[in-house]
Amino acid sequence: MKISRIRLLIWKEFKQLGRDSLLLRVIFLMPLMQLVMFGYVIAADVTNVPTAVVDLDHSQTSRSISSALSANSYFKVIERPASEGELAELVDTSKVKVAIVIPERTEARLVSGETAPVSVIVDGADATTASLSGAYASQLLAQFNPKTAGLPGVDAKIRVFFNPTISTVITMIPGLVAVIVMLSLLVVLSQAVVKERESGTLEQMFTTPITQGEYLVGKVVPYMLLATGQSALVTIVGMWWFQVPFNGSVGAAVLGQFFFLLVCVAMGLMVSVVSSTRSQAQQMVMFIMIPSMVLCGLIFPIESMPEIVQPVSNLIPLTWALDVLRGTFVAGSGFGELWLSLVVLAGFAVALFTGAMVVVRRRLAE
Amino acid sequence: MSRHVRVLALARKEFTHLFRDPRALAMVLLLPVLELVLFAWAISFDVKNVPTIVCDLDQSAASRSYVDSYRASSLFNIVEQASNPEDIEASFKKGETVAGLVIPAGYSSELDAGGRPAVAVWLNGAQTNTAKVAQAYAEALNQSNSRSITLSWVDKQGAASAQAAGILEPRLRTWYNPDRVSSIFLVPGIIVVIVMIVAVQQTAVSLVKEREQHTEEQLLLSPLTDAELMVGKILPWAVFTLADVVVIVGLSVTAFEVPLRGSILALGLGFVLFTIASLSIGLLVSSLAPSMETGNMLAQLIAFLPAFMLSGFAFPLDAIPGVLQGISYLFPGRYMLTLSRGVFLKGAGFAEVWLQLAALAGYAVVLIILATFLYHRRQRR
Repeated sequence: MKISRIRLLIWKEFKQLGRDSLLLRVIFLMPLMQLVMFGYVIAADVTNVPTAVVDLDHSQTSRSISSALSANSYFKVIERPASEGELAELVDTSKVKVAIVIPERTEARLVSGETAPVSVIVDGADATTASLSGAYASQLLAQFNPKTAGLPGVDAKIRVFFNPTISTVITMIPGLVAVIVMLSLLVVLSQAVVKERESGTLEQMFTTPITQGEYLVGKVVPYMLLATGQSALVTIVGMWWFQVPFNGSVGAAVLGQFFFLLVCVAMGLMVSVVSSTRSQAQQMVMFIMIPSMVLCGLIFPIESMPEIVQPVSNLIPLTWALDVLRGTFVAGSGFGELWLSLVVLAGFAVALFTGAMVVVRRRLAE
Repeated sequence: MSRHVRVLALARKEFTHLFRDPRALAMVLLLPVLELVLFAWAISFDVKNVPTIVCDLDQSAASRSYVDSYRASSLFNIVEQASNPEDIEASFKKGETVAGLVIPAGYSSELDAGGRPAVAVWLNGAQTNTAKVAQAYAEALNQSNSRSITLSWVDKQGAASAQAAGILEPRLRTWYNPDRVSSIFLVPGIIVVIVMIVAVQQTAVSLVKEREQHTEEQLLLSPLTDAELMVGKILPWAVFTLADVVVIVGLSVTAFEVPLRGSILALGLGFVLFTIASLSIGLLVSSLAPSMETGNMLAQLIAFLPAFMLSGFAFPLDAIPGVLQGISYLFPGRYMLTLSRGVFLKGAGFAEVWLQLAALAGYAVVLIILATFLYHRRQRR
């Protein structure tokens, strides 16, 4: 490997990148736009869910349930239909997403010591709201049960670590940063080699004394520089815009992110080397991106997945990067807790680079 | 030559191009199926099996019965026993568990003495969604434990006087999906996301490619008008994308047993319009992008994340700021998602979804005109 040749390749790469003025803007501005836009979406703590109360009991108890619902910030009582029949129309048209039906004789049942069922109806077309509403409604109804204070019983003292208000934004932004950076890196890098193959400049390259190793390094270095700049920018803007605190070890976070960038660059390169046309490369990026995003645990909890799928999420680098980012940002973790994730990320990077190297050799020998 | 002969000739040329790269084509057709399986089968919005660590410092029959109530619930999954409470925080920091239950020493003796001991439930705030649900369930679980303790105490006192008052019992009913099957929740939305991702990407490079390969001049020399060019470019992909849709809908109805309760006609029309609308987004990108890379990148960025985030598929859009609400209406996904969920789950027909259909149609027309105009302007330069 000759440094002078690599330097030349890097210079060439930057020159090519600079030629497409829109591309550079896309690389730097697009992630920022996405971060700010999707930050709000992904971090929105759902409140004011349109709710209907059907009070068939018309008693003191039912009225106090209804006013407790109105007072709760999660529910927003907007309709009070007289019967369950009228409710169907409201849910069908998505006017309300949750409904509480208090049947007749609720108070009478309570007084006589029976169990009084109260229906909590959720709109099954909106899964996220449905799952939270159920939990909140149960919590709210529990308040109406006879206070047993003074009598023997158990109290639960609930304490939320690291994030006492359970604010979504501070846990989601670090993860979103990783997703956005990964997407934009894969999109750009997946084209890096295949582009030269398609335009026939790849053969030209290898009629020169440049070796395959030098070629790869020459490709990786400029994009790695770009990636580092990009992810630093996105992270800092994300922290500043959404006021995300940082509690853990800066070293672990930086190292974790650096390894993750290497993994993304290597993955993009691998895609680019394996593909023979640009549109194949493009498709493959989606092939990688969609399962990564879905299985990494950012949006859907890993522990809710079927047991066969759970180990698969360990094969996804994004899962480990998420561990490091959430750990350092929110839980205040450092190397002591996160060494495994860091080692795994480094392992992914090494394996993917080796793979890319081998494939380049083989494909160029063809 | 008449107009549609020219358009068809162009479409045929596009088809020929597509078949020349069978690997890419196979991926376009296979990817959606893979996605469907992945979403419908592997993931779920429901929080369950929350990894829980237990630290029982009392080690008595009473404390074990409290822990058992956690073990019996499908929400908590006890994965670790800790010998001292500090281990719980360490486990949170490693991200291994989300909930921790601490039963203090002296728990059972306090109960026996007729007291009211407190257990501690700790939650890992780094996983907000799970923590929220776990919090609500931990409270409910404690209530029911506490109640049975109170009742057994009352029993022991032997006093009939303390007749317990009744309790309110929430009965959760999930309409349209009573068994809370996650594929029924997800499939009507995921079809929309898949179509959006496939469609935008495919057309985004189609015009730039001609420019980069210098075949654009040839097209310009031909009697094709700009509008014909646009339609001809969209046509082949519309066919493929709709084939994808048919396969996916067929698979979800048969293999995943997703009910299709409403008007199939309305759904079909919706998908045709939505496909054209998504393809025109790609076309618009293509008429603006200076190079294939940029076209590519813009397309993936415009299609991929907004399809996930701004369609309402995974994140409810009720709580997002007004500006973003507005932006979300700029993507056809939002209309199509409402339509798809309405028809699949709520049994909607034309009467309920005409507004979405009209929006999609309008969207497609405006975008094609815009793309034609922008493309035309570029040519002049």
